[in-house]
Amino acid sequence: MLKFIARRTATLVAAVLLSSFAVFLIPYVTPGDPVRKIIRSRVAGDVVDESVVQSLGQSLGLQDALFVQYLRWLGSFFSGDMGLSYVSRTPVVEQVMPALGVTVSLVTVALGAAVLASLPLGTAAALRQGRRTDRWITAVTQSFIAMPEYWLAPMLVLLFALKLAVLPSAGWNDASSVVLPAATLALRPASYFTAAVRSGMIDALSAEHVFAARARGLGRTRTVLDHVIPNGLLPLATLLAVWFAGLLGGSVIVEVIFAVPGMGRLLYDAVVNSDIPLAQGGVVVVVALAVGITTLADFVHRLLSPKAGAALV
Amino acid sequence: MRDHLTVDGLTVRDTARPGAPLLDGVALDVAPGEFVALVGGSGSGKTMTAMSVLGLLPQGLAVSGGSIRLGETELTTAGHAELDRIRGGRIGMLFQQPKRMFNPNRRIGRHLREPLKLHAGLRGTAAQRKAIELLAEVGFEDPAAGARSFPHQLSGGMAQRAMAALALAGRPDFLLADEPTSALDKVLERQILQLLDQERRDRGLGILYITHNLASVAAFADRVLVMEQGRLVESGPTREVLAQPKSPYTRSLLEASILQPHGTSSARNGVHAEPEAALSLRGVSKSFAPRRKARAAVDGVSLELRKGEILGVLGQSGSGKSTLARLVLGLERADAGTVAIAGTGTAHTASMCRAVQLVFQEPYDSFDPRMTLRSSLEAPLRQSPLSNEEREGRIRAAVVEVGLDPALLDHRPRQCSGGQLQRATIARALLLEPQVLICDEATSALDALTQRTILDLLRRLQRERGLSLVMITHDMDVVRYMCQRVAVMYQGSLVELADTGTFFSAPQHEHSRALVEASIPCKGLHLGRLVSAAD
Repeated sequence: MLKFIARRTATLVAAVLLSSFAVFLIPYVTPGDPVRKIIRSRVAGDVVDESVVQSLGQSLGLQDALFVQYLRWLGSFFSGDMGLSYVSRTPVVEQVMPALGVTVSLVTVALGAAVLASLPLGTAAALRQGRRTDRWITAVTQSFIAMPEYWLAPMLVLLFALKLAVLPSAGWNDASSVVLPAATLALRPASYFTAAVRSGMIDALSAEHVFAARARGLGRTRTVLDHVIPNGLLPLATLLAVWFAGLLGGSVIVEVIFAVPGMGRLLYDAVVNSDIPLAQGGVVVVVALAVGITTLADFVHRLLSPKAGAALV
Repeated sequence: MRDHLTVDGLTVRDTARPGAPLLDGVALDVAPGEFVALVGGSGSGKTMTAMSVLGLLPQGLAVSGGSIRLGETELTTAGHAELDRIRGGRIGMLFQQPKRMFNPNRRIGRHLREPLKLHAGLRGTAAQRKAIELLAEVGFEDPAAGARSFPHQLSGGMAQRAMAALALAGRPDFLLADEPTSALDKVLERQILQLLDQERRDRGLGILYITHNLASVAAFADRVLVMEQGRLVESGPTREVLAQPKSPYTRSLLEASILQPHGTSSARNGVHAEPEAALSLRGVSKSFAPRRKARAAVDGVSLELRKGEILGVLGQSGSGKSTLARLVLGLERADAGTVAIAGTGTAHTASMCRAVQLVFQEPYDSFDPRMTLRSSLEAPLRQSPLSNEEREGRIRAAVVEVGLDPALLDHRPRQCSGGQLQRATIARALLLEPQVLICDEATSALDALTQRTILDLLRRLQRERGLSLVMITHDMDVVRYMCQRVAVMYQGSLVELADTGTFFSAPQHEHSRALVEASIPCKGLHLGRLVSAAD
């Protein structure tokens, strides 16, 4: 287990370093003078004079080897100095952290709802495998996979915000404003989760050790609670982590449509405005968090399923 | 008087398919302290009988007649709560594949605490202490470590011991043992049987022992019941049934389970081994993973397989038999040493791969379940320049050669029996015209009758085609029946190589002696004597 943790942590660090290096290179590979771009992310005032540019470049160490510059950038980045946004001229970190908080709560609510919906649906489908209930649940949830967010979101707004007028159509103010974006976001993971719960439960139900437990005198309900459900839900745990990581940066459409000031919205704005420091900060934070979560999920899976874990290493 | 377990006129039907019942009027009685063997080929209804007793028939099957009584309690009409008390508390069960019968995500100790709580009311540390005690009773050297381990960390033998501890944790009066040793080698089989026998003598455990191998329980069973197609065809004291089998089915089961009388004579006389080598290994070594403690899986093995010879490779699980086979097949690269096949040199070329073919242990695992047998058999021929007609002709010829109906080619694996599939595996191997056929436990998963027919098929092929065979097995009787020479693997090394006759009469290595000794009282001599007395 220790070896496993060490190996996974090393992978995590490598992934963060590699992606952050790619992000660090953005000012160098995009059109324009990298020195001016970097100075703009470091100095609040406008610098026009070429000689001032020269001396600032000197003092920022921009003549050093690329790798040295990268390490310096990384060091300041993880000590909380992500530079200045081109647009707002305020520190990037002050925009990234609140946005991250918003997205994390949005995604948590969405995935929580998806799990709550998929548990009974998937279990019901598994228990009535091949019968009408199963066919309906499977057909309906599968159709959600093909439903694009940019279509679903306006539909929900039309119904709940305009027609029924029970929920706000956009913004991020009180608890009610999380409902529609979270619902839009939850639909596709909910259908994948339902499929995962269904197949996990079918496997767990047909496992021979379930028969053995009954043969030892464990009652039907207890067997399902003790042996079927815990084992059947394992695939969901992994899937959940993957979706959580994916939605951190992947909730762009929903955040833009519902005007949610989250991470997706922030990255979208950064790209549209060519706000390089903001994009850099947002991407590195999202990547680090996503890789961290998947690694954590690996540890948890390994704890819950020692046999599968042993096969992974 | 203590309760008996009595089954009377038990009839089980498939509710979806009217017609002949799956079990038809099965009647048996197990007294406390009695060891009753229930014997039959696969599909004869042995396991279904056990499932009926526990009231755990699969969905769609139902008891449609007869009664099952435990003392005065009628089990066919008992309620859920009552049945849950009886399962594990008064009737325990052992299974063929113990590892699959444990929840893979739970430690052994936690498994054991379950019946202790249900049937003995023990919880917490008291239950944990008792669990460790039970593991010690079934022969765990370090029971505390055993309780901490997960099922996949146990060897097959230890898993079956742990399963026995689990089945006996509720101190049941009766034990249904469903082929608990069929997947184990003879040494382990004997240990498990002795363990059960001990329980029987110590506290009067009544045992219903289900097996397809009559000979394996001959030394332990008081009575034998023989089942064929859902009916009991014979029953009586072990000695009587073995000495004077009344039904032809029992006779054929018996014949199939004692391979020995045919073995040494006909197999050895019928074949004239040429001195030329079909396959030679020189100092072959292989080790996996740079783990510090790991010893080599195969350690400096030198061996020659003569043309037209049948060589038995014996050894317990983990002794390196299968790795050796994979090295010969070119599926693994040797760390050191050479593998040479007559006429193809030592490089792992395509012609070498064709020259050696493998027959696998699990017939159902060696075919793609979605493909028809025809598609599976075509796969190895896809590289060849044959026309479609020629290819079809070859496949048909191979299928006929192994004694299968070509109509089966359109079937999928699930529609075939284990024996049919094993024939198809052999046909697939023959398509590439190999010189050497490696059979890796090729008959271990089959019941005794089917095993016999497959062994006879292999012998015929060896005779007619001049094939050289390597029989990798833990079954001493297969070796005796088939092989001219025996190689014994132990912890990766070749510890003995001898003619079969010499090997069985005077085994040299310590491990060989253990193997030979374990095989004698169960099968071989003991049973051989009983049968020859009857002749």
